[in-house]
Amino acid sequence: MSDAPLVFAPRPADPPPPSTIGVVGWMRANLFSSVPNAILTFLGIYIFYVVVSAIVNWALVNAVWEAENRRQCLDMVGRSGACWPGVAAWIPNLIYGLYPKDQVWRINTGFLILIAWAVPLWLPRVRSKVAIGLSLVLAYPFLASYFFHGGQQTLVWTALIALGATAFAWTWLTSLAEMRFGLGFGPLVARLFGAADDERARRIGWGALAALYVLTFVIVSQLDFVEVQTRFWGGLFLTLVISGIGIAFSLPAGVVLALGRRSEMPLIRVFCVTFIELFRSVPLITILFMFNTMLPLFLPEGVEVNRLLRAIVAVCLFASAYMAEIVRGGLQAIPKGQYEAAAAMGLGFWQSTSLIILPQALRIMIPSIVGNFIGLFKDTTLVSIIGLFDLLSMSRAVGEDTRWLGLFIEPFFFITLIYFVFCFLMSQYSLNLERRLGEGQRR
Amino acid sequence: MSQSTAIRRPATPPLRLGTLANDATVRSVFYQAVTFVCVVGLIWYLVSNTIANMATRGMSAGFDFLDVSAGFNIAFTLIPYREGDSYLRVFQVGIANTLLVAAIGVVFASILGLVVGLGRLSTNWLIRTLARWYVEILRNTPLLLQIIAWYFGVFNLLPLPRASVDLGGVMYLNNRGAYFPAPVPGEGFGLVLLALVAALIGAVLLHLWARQRFRATGRPFPSVLVGIALVLVAPTLVYLLLGAPLTWDWPVLRGFNFQGGFSVPPAFCALVVALSIYTSCFIAEIVRAGIQSVGHGQTEAARALGVKPSRTMRFIILPQAMRVIIPPLISQYLNLTKNSSLAIAIGFPDLVSVWMNTSLNQSGRAIPIVAMTMGFYCVVSLAVSFVLNSYNRRILLRER
Repeated sequence: MSDAPLVFAPRPADPPPPSTIGVVGWMRANLFSSVPNAILTFLGIYIFYVVVSAIVNWALVNAVWEAENRRQCLDMVGRSGACWPGVAAWIPNLIYGLYPKDQVWRINTGFLILIAWAVPLWLPRVRSKVAIGLSLVLAYPFLASYFFHGGQQTLVWTALIALGATAFAWTWLTSLAEMRFGLGFGPLVARLFGAADDERARRIGWGALAALYVLTFVIVSQLDFVEVQTRFWGGLFLTLVISGIGIAFSLPAGVVLALGRRSEMPLIRVFCVTFIELFRSVPLITILFMFNTMLPLFLPEGVEVNRLLRAIVAVCLFASAYMAEIVRGGLQAIPKGQYEAAAAMGLGFWQSTSLIILPQALRIMIPSIVGNFIGLFKDTTLVSIIGLFDLLSMSRAVGEDTRWLGLFIEPFFFITLIYFVFCFLMSQYSLNLERRLGEGQRR
Repeated sequence: MSQSTAIRRPATPPLRLGTLANDATVRSVFYQAVTFVCVVGLIWYLVSNTIANMATRGMSAGFDFLDVSAGFNIAFTLIPYREGDSYLRVFQVGIANTLLVAAIGVVFASILGLVVGLGRLSTNWLIRTLARWYVEILRNTPLLLQIIAWYFGVFNLLPLPRASVDLGGVMYLNNRGAYFPAPVPGEGFGLVLLALVAALIGAVLLHLWARQRFRATGRPFPSVLVGIALVLVAPTLVYLLLGAPLTWDWPVLRGFNFQGGFSVPPAFCALVVALSIYTSCFIAEIVRAGIQSVGHGQTEAARALGVKPSRTMRFIILPQAMRVIIPPLISQYLNLTKNSSLAIAIGFPDLVSVWMNTSLNQSGRAIPIVAMTMGFYCVVSLAVSFVLNSYNRRILLRER
């Protein structure tokens, strides 16, 4: 009858059963998919409730926030709540140790400089990142040691500090110049002076750097910081100093040791293997003890090595042995074809290693390297056993203070949070970095 | 004219310094010589300084002090030790205590690590999340802090012996330590042990035979189940036949403390608990990575071939996962052993605490004592890496 074409109109699909969508569906799929799973879920809820309610009750609900001493805390809530005023009163000591109060600004400035130095590494338009990174690792220690330790300046010492200051100034000048004009600091100055050719431009660039150096030298020689001996260093500051030096030293040393271990020269291989295996097979605490008792014996009479330096030497050697094994793992993961291709292009050992092999190997190694850094950061707590006042020792000192006698758990809880935040951020950053660098590898 | 005349040896180039410097062998020998001179020079410098320093301080490097009476007491010893025993005995006591902590820690850490590792792979979201945060929190805080917190925060705050925590009437916990009943072997108990050893050997032989037959004929034999039954039943039978020759020495509260039984100090408990929990995080991650490393295709292929799910796990997934799990697992065990040296922070007398600290301070013999301590740890770790290497060689994937 009708001429209208017959159009097939499907009946609209039924909505999905309500039990498979939304919150209910998610819970059915993820929490109650079977009877054993449901039992596990209730068990999990119970465990979660017990642990979290215990912590929240102790740390927040029952906690005392204002008190003069521990006695008052105990009178108020007994042991059922935390006594935070003790921790709050000790926070400056937990962070700076026994560092003189009026000099603490030096530590803060030192770390601010470190952060400011590292910032250009994350700025997208800065090109001289390798040079900035190298200057940070090589020159910052001079500047930092003067800020932290201070004391008399000899001429050589002043020259080195000025080197650090120059490198810092150059880092920011060149970063700003590159972001604004796309030219480094030296080339920019040369452009301003209207250099005729490359040779002259290079000379003007170096001249500008030399002028900068003279300027900083004059400024640095005017500085007069009171000496703060290392036995006053402590708290989070000391922990960061030890782990920072350990990290900065262990990566290059580990690369050298790993290359040595894979070397074709038998003698070098034997030395490297012996060093690595010896330091890896004993616990860190024995190495710390060994250096603590034996370093004075190893050195000529009259040479004094303070406790901090002994600990730092031990931590550095220990960390580089571990780093060497990680780097070796990375080197082994590079296919042989890469080595052969580099050789076929006529690259020598150093060229092929630094241009072809290491950049690829380091990318594979990022998770393990950061894992090692985290381990190192945690291991610095061991220096408290040989009598340095790191974060852990300072937190134990709270409970020995007459006002806060016996207050141990609260400071432990507080520094646990500090350690956790540092380590967790490091591990998450490494995951992020790994994901970004692995972008090109993904299929 | 023969063709061979066309090929002539190239004329030897004239010997010049430039050619020599580019010769691989010459370079290699040169670098090695320089390294050798530097390293040996450094060692010589350190040794000569040490000898001079020791001479001025009147120290001696000999091992003759090992026979001397140590003259201090040790709070907890696994092997018998009396005040006045020699330094050598102290060394042995330290090793025994370290190995005891390591052995118990390894067992607990493995069990806990397996449970948490499987929890991280659970299909249950809540269990997965709890397991993840367990790992994240404990892995990202220092072990030393955990040990000290367990000691000061838990085991030191336990009640006095009079108000001990009673765990099923078998074990008592108080601020002096943990108390267990100690077994006292009676007459003929040696035979029970003998039966146990015989059953173990029998079970291993049975398993080997079963595996051989399975490979030759494909006929399976439940050798594991039969073996476990053998190990359980044989010693029990002998034990019952001999009239139960084992009594227990129960700890009893007398006066201010428990008497009898076997006891361990609070520091031991704190150390074992902290080490087990800390290591279990790493083991959990290893277990998870191992099981995830076996591709899903393996399970599907097994399904397609009609292999039963229970057998898929046993014959397809586990053997491949084990290849990934075992090597890092063993290095975690080694780490646990090394980490037990942190006992010194809470005063448990392990090797480092009793030998490298107390004995060193008492006798002043820094060099032999440091050398012996490091020697012990080196031997342990070399033995472990030997086992690992031979295992790795056995399970190595044979590619192409």
